Amino acid sequence: MAERLERLFTGFAWSAVLGLGAVLAGLMIFLVQRGLPSLGTALFFGSTPVAEGLMGRLPVWDGIWPACVGTFLLVVLASLIAIPLGVAGGVYLAVYASRRERRVYGFLVDLLAGMPSILMGLFGFALILLLRKTLLPSANTGLLLAAGCLSLLVLPYLIMTTQTALLGLPSALHLTGLSLGLTPWQNLSRVLLPAAGRGIMSGVILAVGRAAEDTAVILLTGVVANAGLPHSWTDRFEALPFTIYYLAAEHRSAAELDRGFGTALVLLGLTALLFLWAYGLQRTFARRWDRRVNLP
Amino acid sequence: MKLAGEVQELAVSFFGQRVLRGLSLVIPRNRLTVIIGPSGSGKTTLLRALNRLNEFFPGADTRGTVRLHLEGAWVDVYGGDLSVTGLRRRVGLVFQQPHILPVSIAKNITLPLKLVAGLSRRDLPARMEQVLREAHLWDEVKDRLASPAAALSGGQQQRLCLARALALEPEILLLDEPSASLDFRAASRVEELLADLKDRYTLVAVSHSLSQARRIADQIAVLKEGVIVRMLERTEFDNQSVFHRLIEENF
Repeated sequence: MAERLERLFTGFAWSAVLGLGAVLAGLMIFLVQRGLPSLGTALFFGSTPVAEGLMGRLPVWDGIWPACVGTFLLVVLASLIAIPLGVAGGVYLAVYASRRERRVYGFLVDLLAGMPSILMGLFGFALILLLRKTLLPSANTGLLLAAGCLSLLVLPYLIMTTQTALLGLPSALHLTGLSLGLTPWQNLSRVLLPAAGRGIMSGVILAVGRAAEDTAVILLTGVVANAGLPHSWTDRFEALPFTIYYLAAEHRSAAELDRGFGTALVLLGLTALLFLWAYGLQRTFARRWDRRVNLP
Repeated sequence: MKLAGEVQELAVSFFGQRVLRGLSLVIPRNRLTVIIGPSGSGKTTLLRALNRLNEFFPGADTRGTVRLHLEGAWVDVYGGDLSVTGLRRRVGLVFQQPHILPVSIAKNITLPLKLVAGLSRRDLPARMEQVLREAHLWDEVKDRLASPAAALSGGQQQRLCLARALALEPEILLLDEPSASLDFRAASRVEELLADLKDRYTLVAVSHSLSQARRIADQIAVLKEGVIVRMLERTEFDNQSVFHRLIEENF
């Protein structure tokens, strides 16, 4: 009986993995089939000359280049806000917090993680309304606000993965550095965080992916269909997920819908590039941590 | 006899649970003091009280005085005479299980050297070689200093930990059952090493093995339920039958 159950479960686990792979492969094939033909300079720049459009000297009306730039800036900005905060929050919960604090704050982080993204968008929208009525009459939705709200959205992933990665280290490791006379900060920055680097990295990947794809937050905080390249942090912007949504919902021809698939492919490529970048960064840190000493 | 440390009325509790109940102990300089006692008697806690490592654990409360002779002067360990990081540098600790850092063999030694002792990059290799030789490990690792320390055998890892502690030039070295996790051969190598180190360092070790304690110790402290019930000098435990009678009386 137990053996049959074991076999059954193994089979189930296998089929779950294979099924996931099949779904992913199917999705990719579908996307490439529909999207690949529309990839080209016309998709990115429409009828604008490439060089002029690339540098923003001429506006791009019919291409997704401004949306690429918008999404890239959005993700980088949101990461710059969220990663330091999230890692620091995770460090606090894992290393400094008492058991009680860990329970209370952990619950709050869970709550934040469970919050629908549209609420984050509404929060940003309400914040701008409040600012307009009080301190900053000229405040408007834009890149910075959207990135701030996105960073709220991804913060819990970063906090949780950092906390889990640090708590997952053997407790002996916490003690080793201290017993050698390292200060708590040295122990954290030179031993614990590097050792937890891979785990923290998975949180960063989750966060980057989430920030790149989310539409609900930016919908209420500054994305528009034809903003062109943003010129300042408070400008309105275009973004790839919103362009996809827009093209899917409002296309007037099959060719326009195909451009939507092409855009989806570009978004996938952009996130993959950001992942690679993050991965390379982590590798560099890891190597620097364990650099060879100059041997005689 | 010159002293390296004096412990008076030391009481340590965790969340109100008393582990050490007001014990006193004298630690002679350049000698090997071995603490023995049944498990749960507070051996490790006593050892960690000497370099304030109990404070890492939540709910720890330490009372009494611990005075150590460091750098030519007496310091009150819990009186704020010395920063906790400064104390831990001068009072090294080797754990029961080898606590290696998940980095290369070399970095295990150079990381604390750089961060704690502030050694310049130029001076690192020489000091590293010196302590690896001191820990009888140099010949085994000199060709693979850049490979992960985790790839070493248990005995080698433990000697690496010893070398790492020695690299910081401590005056007192605390050893928490340093050979308990090792096989017979590796354990006897560590024992030889300790005998070697006695001339230059004051050693305080916890041991679970009576025969080991008898082989290596200069004095033995018998710990039971948080107090020291008996101090034994070498002359007393040199004779095996006398030693066993004394132990039976006190365990």
